[in-house]
Amino acid sequence: MAKSKEELLQQLSDCVFEMEDESVAGVANEYIEAGYEALDGVLKGLVDGMSRAGQMYEEEEYFVTDLLVCSDAMYNGLEVLKPHLPQEEGAGAVNYKCVIGVVEGDTHDIGKNLVRIMLETAGFEMYDLGRDVPLISFVEKAKDVNAQLICLSTLMTTTMPGMKEVVDMLKKEGLKDKVKVMIGGGPISQAYCDQISADGYAVNAIGAVSLAKKLVGMA
Amino acid sequence: MNSKERLLSALKGATTDRSPCICPGGMMNMVVTALMDKANIHLPEAHTDPNKMAGLARAVYDYGCFENYGVPFCMTIEAEQMGAVVDLGSAIYEPHVTGYVIDNPSQWRELRPFNPYGNRAKVVLDAIKILKKHDDHVPIIGNLSGPISVAASLMEPVNYYKALRRNKEDAHALMNFVTEALIDFGKAQIEAGADVIAISDPSGTGEILGPRLFDEYVVTYVNQLIDGLHEMNPELPIIVHICGKMHKVYEELNKIRADAHSFDSIVSIKESKKMMPAKIMIGNVSTYALEFADADRIRVLTQKVMDDGSDIIAPACGLGTKTSLENIQAMLHIVKESSMRLRS
Repeated sequence: MAKSKEELLQQLSDCVFEMEDESVAGVANEYIEAGYEALDGVLKGLVDGMSRAGQMYEEEEYFVTDLLVCSDAMYNGLEVLKPHLPQEEGAGAVNYKCVIGVVEGDTHDIGKNLVRIMLETAGFEMYDLGRDVPLISFVEKAKDVNAQLICLSTLMTTTMPGMKEVVDMLKKEGLKDKVKVMIGGGPISQAYCDQISADGYAVNAIGAVSLAKKLVGMA
Repeated sequence: MNSKERLLSALKGATTDRSPCICPGGMMNMVVTALMDKANIHLPEAHTDPNKMAGLARAVYDYGCFENYGVPFCMTIEAEQMGAVVDLGSAIYEPHVTGYVIDNPSQWRELRPFNPYGNRAKVVLDAIKILKKHDDHVPIIGNLSGPISVAASLMEPVNYYKALRRNKEDAHALMNFVTEALIDFGKAQIEAGADVIAISDPSGTGEILGPRLFDEYVVTYVNQLIDGLHEMNPELPIIVHICGKMHKVYEELNKIRADAHSFDSIVSIKESKKMMPAKIMIGNVSTYALEFADADRIRVLTQKVMDDGSDIIAPACGLGTKTSLENIQAMLHIVKESSMRLRS
């Protein structure tokens, strides 16, 4: 007997949550073949699993390495479901675009990668510039793709002033109100965020999601 | 007591006239632009010239910053020797890896065999020899990048971290290869005259790995490294610095056979002393404060870590290159001053 939709959604969610990156594709195929909606499979299955993993991370039961493997499972499932997503979806809706990267002089990108994954999970269209990113590139890319949000990360005090430079460049270009800047990383604090007039600081990848949504007015 | 006797005694938990105030070097950078200007020796040149490296290390002591010499000033030498491409940075930015050698741990056999006497490794050894020749009672700290951090510099770190769970066989083979290389480099540093070895393994933080992987990889390979170094000299003091929060991994940390541990400023010295009663604690004055606060605040923070029971006073991490000499000197100043108060 075919499994119910709820049963398969639960399995998709569990595959992500339990890091079953190899079996998730099989479950996703089974889900599609049964004729269930791909969008639900993504949101109520895969994304739900990732959110549960994020919850465990907040409770310090999961760690960064766990989330990385969970995200592998999520992406493997997405690959199967994506071609079946309705095409018109997003045409009328707002696409929230976000440019992310580690500022110039710093190569520590684990935290940035995690934030990218969690924001992607939350529905943002992500433009990841990588690490050791020339400061001007953030502004150029944001203009280029019409992004509403720039996320800057650094782990070192030496490279923190680069964040202020990006904010100042946006001011100079008259983009400060249009493009929000959120910052994070080891030495960063709310006080520093206020000091450089960035729009928000998040203490970790989970906090980054709610902050990003708030900044761009995502429901 | 001279600086060397004081530090070596403190690292073994023996009585000293007062706490030493040090900054090991390596990842725990202590070279700032103001010091480069005073000494007229600059980075990145000093990364590749043993005389300049030794000169800058000596300037740290001569200008009243810290009571030790320490080399090198980066954590890229080991990965570079195994084939990674390194950008030596500037006076402001530290050297960093720009090109990886392999894609994932299963390719570890493609890594270049480590030559502890090659290229920039040799610069470090020569710098240690130059410092040693002066024999001026200042302890020389040789620095190694920790096994996790070196391995995570040879490939995209995300691939590395995932393999620690997904491909344990190759991950362990890679870690063994890297650790044996580090033992060779560390032994060469001891042979050249290093009095202490500091191992900094920021990528081995429990925040990324969690307790299970921390135990399986950090504890295993840092201990393999320490045991390897102790073959040269069983008494050689070893410092281990690991970044990030520690509250989830204290039990595992206690298995590491180091004499002394150094932590990030996020870790409370009071708590770590309680959780690791047998260990010497080093640290941990906020490097953020050192770079962005004033000297008065540094005096308060330094006094606080002393009151909390830190055995050896040091910055909590590598210093930002724009940190003022005044702030750095304030640390040592208050350490000396409080010992006078103690005696009177």
